[in-house]
Amino acid sequence: MKKSISLFISLTKNWLRSKSGVFFSILFPVMLLIIFSAVFGGGETAEYTIHIENEDFEENGIPTELSEAFIKALDDTGTLNVNEVDNLTEHREEEEGFGSYRGLRIKEGFQERAENKSMSIRVGVMHETMLLMENESDMEEEEREEFERGKESLEEWSQFLGKEHLFDLNRSEYADYLNEGEIHEEMRSAFEEKNFSISDDAEMKYEENGSWTIEDEEKKFIIQEDEEENKLHIFREKESAKIVVYTSPGDQGGQVVQGTVRGVVDSFDSRMIGVEDTTIEVGEETTEDEELQPADYYLPGILTAFIMTNGIIAVTTTTTEYKRNGVLKRLSAAPIQKKDWILANVGQQTLLAFILTGVMILLSRILFDVQAVPGIYSLGLIFLGAVAFCSVGMVLGGFIKDVEAASGIGNAIAFPMMFLSGAFVPIEQFPGYLRTVARALPLYYFHQGLQELMILENLSGAIIPYIVLGSLTVVFLIAAIKVTDWKDM
Amino acid sequence: MSDNVIDVEGLTKLYDGTTAVDNISFSVREGEIFSMVGPNGAGKTTTVEILECIRTPTSGNAEVLGHDVMKDEDRIKEKIGVMPQNFNTFERLSAEENIRLMADLYGSKNVEEVMKMVGVTDFKDKKFSELSGGMQTKVGIGMTLISNADLLFLDEPTTGLDPHARRETWKLIKRLKRTGKTVFLTTHYMEEVEELSDRAAVLIDGRIEVIDSIENLIRDYGGGIKVVVRKDEKAVELVKEKSDEVFKNESGELVGIFDNKKRARKALVTLFQMDCDVEVKEAGMEDAFIRLTGGKLDEEGELV
Repeated sequence: MKKSISLFISLTKNWLRSKSGVFFSILFPVMLLIIFSAVFGGGETAEYTIHIENEDFEENGIPTELSEAFIKALDDTGTLNVNEVDNLTEHREEEEGFGSYRGLRIKEGFQERAENKSMSIRVGVMHETMLLMENESDMEEEEREEFERGKESLEEWSQFLGKEHLFDLNRSEYADYLNEGEIHEEMRSAFEEKNFSISDDAEMKYEENGSWTIEDEEKKFIIQEDEEENKLHIFREKESAKIVVYTSPGDQGGQVVQGTVRGVVDSFDSRMIGVEDTTIEVGEETTEDEELQPADYYLPGILTAFIMTNGIIAVTTTTTEYKRNGVLKRLSAAPIQKKDWILANVGQQTLLAFILTGVMILLSRILFDVQAVPGIYSLGLIFLGAVAFCSVGMVLGGFIKDVEAASGIGNAIAFPMMFLSGAFVPIEQFPGYLRTVARALPLYYFHQGLQELMILENLSGAIIPYIVLGSLTVVFLIAAIKVTDWKDM
Repeated sequence: MSDNVIDVEGLTKLYDGTTAVDNISFSVREGEIFSMVGPNGAGKTTTVEILECIRTPTSGNAEVLGHDVMKDEDRIKEKIGVMPQNFNTFERLSAEENIRLMADLYGSKNVEEVMKMVGVTDFKDKKFSELSGGMQTKVGIGMTLISNADLLFLDEPTTGLDPHARRETWKLIKRLKRTGKTVFLTTHYMEEVEELSDRAAVLIDGRIEVIDSIENLIRDYGGGIKVVVRKDEKAVELVKEKSDEVFKNESGELVGIFDNKKRARKALVTLFQMDCDVEVKEAGMEDAFIRLTGGKLDEEGELV
């Protein structure tokens, strides 16, 4: 043991006096933590400018009340910085530059269509409710007659509100053309005579309520047969209120803008159909209540990633270098065992991991007021991680003869693992197959475990990472003992 | 009890079918400086590393200080001092820190004494990487001596050193012999072999060509006394007549070789009485090596 300690001290001194070694092992991860925390944790909510053109005006030229309310609602989200423009197309041309352009157009008829649609939906809901009551209510005959009359009125009203009457056709003349599928030419001509075009891809369908529909991608016509008056009543389904959101391709902020606009639209939808109260309340508590800062979240990721790179890249390279320049041969000729050498390396990497942990927590506490403090379990996990990845480095160093190849192979293993394990980017954002890859990587369990212990203080969540990383540590350590040459180098 | 500290019998080492060491047998006596000489690839380092227990022989037996290299590795490693070929150590540790590390590994406490003996004290705080080649060699020998071993293996300790550093190292090795150490030296410098060694083995292609004391090697293979004649007709005639062998050297001068010292002395007296312009050279290890191998070793240890 004394020999291992002497070797450990020598290895540590030799490492501490290497400026590049100290930079890449300690200072570089600290720099990354500071940059990540500063960039993504500025403390203020990101604000995205959106340019809005409102086409929905009253007859007197004043914007409609609903469109104005919609714009104000967008502005009140806090996420969007609203800029109203007269002409979105012209404004975009003037604004063209390096930045992403985000625009929104409120189409003409926004208020009228929204009101009609909401009324139609409200009446529809009442009608549906009466249908539900129909089978269950124990009504007297008189009451039932009243009920039936009310139900029919609501049904008519609902249908009336949802559609707009266009014209009538002679039933005897056109009834033969009411067939499912393609639109008959005679029917198409009749519509065109009334200045309503039917596109080529439109199809006719028979609906359960006894009416016929002609529908294409843009509009829907409803045909109702009236035997008494020998007419076909032609209606057009009333369109929804329309807004269009414009974002640039590849604009990540555009997704936030679209999501925010969709949220405001959903809220308007609910209010328009009369839903004042919510059935599900979303509690908006953040972990800031627990005084956790963004740096707390980056800490486990960067810490585990660099404990891994220190093991896989640095140990692989130094092992190969010591093998090449004869240091290892000199040591193997001394009365020490292979285990003393492995123990010294593992000790040095563990010390380095603890130094890195201490420095990163101390600095991020000073700079970002982080609250995460490693406990005995997280220190245990850090120890396992340091031993596991140091062992991987010694296994690679045992195989590889050339120092340049060692550095290349170390990097080729460490960097993909760093990004694929979810240490920097949550794996929930990965495609399915990459999530499977991530779960096959030791760094995934190291990071998950440390996150559970240091940030969430959830020991039970760290049990599986502990078991997996512990098992891998044993496997890698045995492999390192087997592969490390102590004779016939 | 045998005076031998090393006994090797039929030692062979194969690497992927190539024979590096081919059935060699030799012994090293206590207190002597034993040199193994030969060109690069002759099998010197492989032999030394087998004796240091850091390489496994393919066949044969070797005993170091009475212990079998295959069975008693730990005992042997505790009792020997080793300076490997192209010696290197932790480059960012100081000379003293490197020697202290070895002291810890061997359980030794005489760091100051060793540093003083090998002349490291003056630069003991300098990092190993900042030292000259000669200073690094001194650190290497210091790390070898720290074991307090009586048997030291120095594998090409002066390779790459300048002439001054080389002579300093020789002084150090001679001092080791005076303190009773046995030194197993490998080298490709014939001057070094002649200056330091009691006995030498010439190794070619994994085989020992010859093994003997330096005097015997020079006497038997060095070619006796060489007389170089410089453009003197009378002298040329005399040397041709009295010498055992004559040839012309690279400068076109006549060289006569006298195997018998008495005859050589007689001829030289005559030549001096005739006031001839001659130069007398005694044969050395280089001559012996050339006679044995048909070539000589260049600075890099290649046979040319």
